[in-house]
Amino acid sequence: MMSKTTETRKGTSHIEAIRRNFPGAVKRVEWQVDEQVTVTIALDTLPDIVEYLYYERGGWLSVMVGNDERGFNDCYALYYILSMEGEDTCFCVVRAEVSPDTCEFPSVTPRVPACAWSEREVRDMFGLKPVGLPDRRRLVLPDDWPEGLYPLRKDSMDYRYRPEPVRDVENYEFLRDTQGKHTTTIPMGPMHITSDEPGHFRLYVEGEDIVDADYRMFYVHRGMEKCAESRMDYDAVPFLADRICGICGCAHSVAYAEVIESALGIVVPARAQCIRAIVLEVERLHSHLLNLGLVCHYSGFDTGFMNFFRVREKSMDLAEMLTGARKTYGLNLIGGVRRDILAEQKLTTLRVIEELRHEVGDLVEMLLSTPNFLARTEGVGILDKKIARDYSPVGPTVRGSGFARDTRIDHPYDGYKNLDLTARTQETCDVKGRTLVRVAEFMDSLDIIQTLLENVPTGPILTEGWTVEPRRYAVGATEAPRGEDVHWSMIGDNQKCYRWRAKAATYSNWPVLRYMLRGNTISDAALIIGSIDPCYSCTDRVTVVDVKKGTQQVITKDELEAYGRRHSHSPLKG
Amino acid sequence: MLKLFKEIRKTGCATVGYPFEPLAQADGVRGKPEHTADACIACAACAVACPPNAIQMIPDIEEGTVTWSINYGRCIFCGRCEEVCPTRAIVLTKAFELAVMSKADLETKSVYRLQACSVCGEYFASRKQIELAARILGQDSDQTEVLQAIDGLGICPTCKRTRDGVAASNHAKLTGGVR
Repeated sequence: MMSKTTETRKGTSHIEAIRRNFPGAVKRVEWQVDEQVTVTIALDTLPDIVEYLYYERGGWLSVMVGNDERGFNDCYALYYILSMEGEDTCFCVVRAEVSPDTCEFPSVTPRVPACAWSEREVRDMFGLKPVGLPDRRRLVLPDDWPEGLYPLRKDSMDYRYRPEPVRDVENYEFLRDTQGKHTTTIPMGPMHITSDEPGHFRLYVEGEDIVDADYRMFYVHRGMEKCAESRMDYDAVPFLADRICGICGCAHSVAYAEVIESALGIVVPARAQCIRAIVLEVERLHSHLLNLGLVCHYSGFDTGFMNFFRVREKSMDLAEMLTGARKTYGLNLIGGVRRDILAEQKLTTLRVIEELRHEVGDLVEMLLSTPNFLARTEGVGILDKKIARDYSPVGPTVRGSGFARDTRIDHPYDGYKNLDLTARTQETCDVKGRTLVRVAEFMDSLDIIQTLLENVPTGPILTEGWTVEPRRYAVGATEAPRGEDVHWSMIGDNQKCYRWRAKAATYSNWPVLRYMLRGNTISDAALIIGSIDPCYSCTDRVTVVDVKKGTQQVITKDELEAYGRRHSHSPLKG
Repeated sequence: MLKLFKEIRKTGCATVGYPFEPLAQADGVRGKPEHTADACIACAACAVACPPNAIQMIPDIEEGTVTWSINYGRCIFCGRCEEVCPTRAIVLTKAFELAVMSKADLETKSVYRLQACSVCGEYFASRKQIELAARILGQDSDQTEVLQAIDGLGICPTCKRTRDGVAASNHAKLTGGVR
C-alpha cells in the first residue's frame, strides 16, 4: 500500500458524515490513493447513503460497477462511483455486498435517477435484481439472448460462446409519456441519421412537435470487458481500451493506465505525464472540430462543415506525428508512454497550433455571424438544470447548462496537475450554449498544448519494475472531449485482468436526451442529438408516429437529414 | 458572408492527389510489420507481447518444427513486436494498403526447426535460438565457465536441473555433507 497520512487524504469528511448520519452502516473504509476512498456499507442503507452523498454533499454519479467476488469474498459487489465535487473533492466509491443466494439489492434509481442505466446493466450482465427499479427492460443484452445467462458471471460462459437466438422478434418496449395527446411515432434507427452509427430512436410527435422520445442503444456491444477478463493480461488492456472509441481512444487508455497505476502505487515520470496531457489535448482539438463541423452540417451551413473539416486535418496530422497513428492509438503503457516528443516535433506542433488558432478563430467568427445558425440553435434542445443535476451528464453537455464539471479540474491527473484551468460554461442550456463551450475549450486546448510544450520537464518517459498484487482495484478518470471517461478495474491472479469496467462519456449523456428532445420539432432532432456529440460505438432510421392520426411512417436517413438542413418540405407531407 | 467567400478563394483546392500520387506521411508512422525470416530466431518474444494475438507460434512435435505466423487482419499496428525483438527481425514499415483479394493472403508464415535435448530427446527451444546463444557466449570462449555453458546449451532446462542436482549431491558426498 502507498504511504498515506491523514492530512493528505481526501474524503475523510464524507466518511465522517456517513458515520454520523447513518450509525452502524459503515463496515469498512479503504483508501486506494489519497484522492480515492472506497467505503463498504450495509446493503439496506445503500439508497439512503448514495442519495445523501449525491444531493447533500455535492456528489455526481460516474457509473456503478458490478463485480463477481464469489471466488474470494463469497458475494457479488456493487461499486457506486461518486465524483464528489462540492467541498473535499475526491472519488468516493460506495461498495455494497450482494448475497449470491438472493441476488437482490435495493434500487437507488428512484432516489437518484442517474443510476438507471448502471442498474439495468448489472441486471443484464450479472443477474442481480434491483428491487424497486421501475424500468424492467433489458439495457445491453439483445432480444434474442437466452434468459438466465449472465455473461459477466465468472462461471457463466466462455467469451467465444455465441448462444443460439431464442426468438427473432423485436420485443423492446419504448417508453412514451404523451400526456394523453394523440401523437405520431417516428422511429429513427437502427442507424443514427447524423453520425451513421447504430441506435434506435422513437419520436412521438403531434404534427411537427416532439411530445416525447425514447431510444435504444447497444446494437454494437462488443463484449470488450468479457474479452479482456477472459484472455488479456492487465498490462495489454490499454491497447484494447484505445479501441473503445475512434476519436477519444487515448483518453480511454490513459484512464485505464491510471487505474493500474493508482492500484499498484506506480509513479509516472513527470515528462510522461506531460506527454499524455499534450496528446489528450490534441485529441480534443480534432474531436471539437469534428463536432463544430457537424453542427454546421445539421443546421444547413455546409460550407462551414467543409471548412471545419479541412482545418481539422491539421490536428489529425499532429496526432499522426506525435503518436504514429492518426487515431492517437498505442501511446500508453502502464507506468508511462512509449514515444517521446522530439525537439523538431515540438517546433512543428507549436507552428501548427498557431495556424489553427487563426484559422479556427476566423471560421468561428463566420459561424457565429451566420443568422441561420443562430436561428437554428438558440433555445433549441434545452437541457434543464434540474434534469442535468438528476442524471449526471458530463462534458460540454452539462457545461452548456451552467455546471462547471470538468475532470481535468475536479480530479486533476497527469499533466493537468500543475495547470491553472477554468471550466468553460454557458447558461443558455441550448445547442448554441454547448457549441460555444466547445469553441472556448478548443481555444483553451491550444493554450494548454503551448504551455505544456514550453514547460515539459526532461527525464525518463516510462517507469518499469513493480510488483503486481492480485485483487487491487481503483478508479481512473480522464476528461475526454465528450466528457468524463471513467474506468474501474481489479487485477486478478497470474497478472490477468479480473474485472474491467469502462464507461465512455456518452453513456452518461444518453439518458438526458429524452428531455432535450421534448418540445422541439422533428427537423431539430438531428441537431439536438448531434449536440451531445454522441459516440454510440455507434445508430438507425427514424419512425414518426402521429399521435392524432395513429399512423406510422418510416423516414430514411437521407430524407430526414435533408429536412434537417432545409427546414422546409417536410417528408411527412407525402 | 463576403468574408466566407474570401476564405474559400484564399484556400483554393484542399484535396490531395492520393491515390494517384503517394500520400505524405509523418516520420514514425506505424504501418505493416515486415518479418525477416532469416534474422528471426523463433524465440516467441513477439508472440507473447502481441496484444491481439496476431502473431502466433505453433509447435509441431511430430515434425520437430515451430511455425511463426502473423495475421495482418488481426494486427493493430502497435509495434510491441518490434520493441521486444532481440534481432530486429520484425520491423514496422509505413505501408498501410493491406487489402487482399483472398483472406488467406493476410497471413504470412515461417517454419523453424526445434532443438531436441541431448539427454532426454524432448524438443525444448528453437534451434536458431540455441545457435545465437552459442555465438554470443563464444565471444568469451577462453573462460572455463563459458565453455561449460556452451556445452550445456543442447540440454533442456529440466535435464539441466537434474544434472546440476546430481552434481551438487556428488560434490556434497565428496566434501562430507551439506553444511
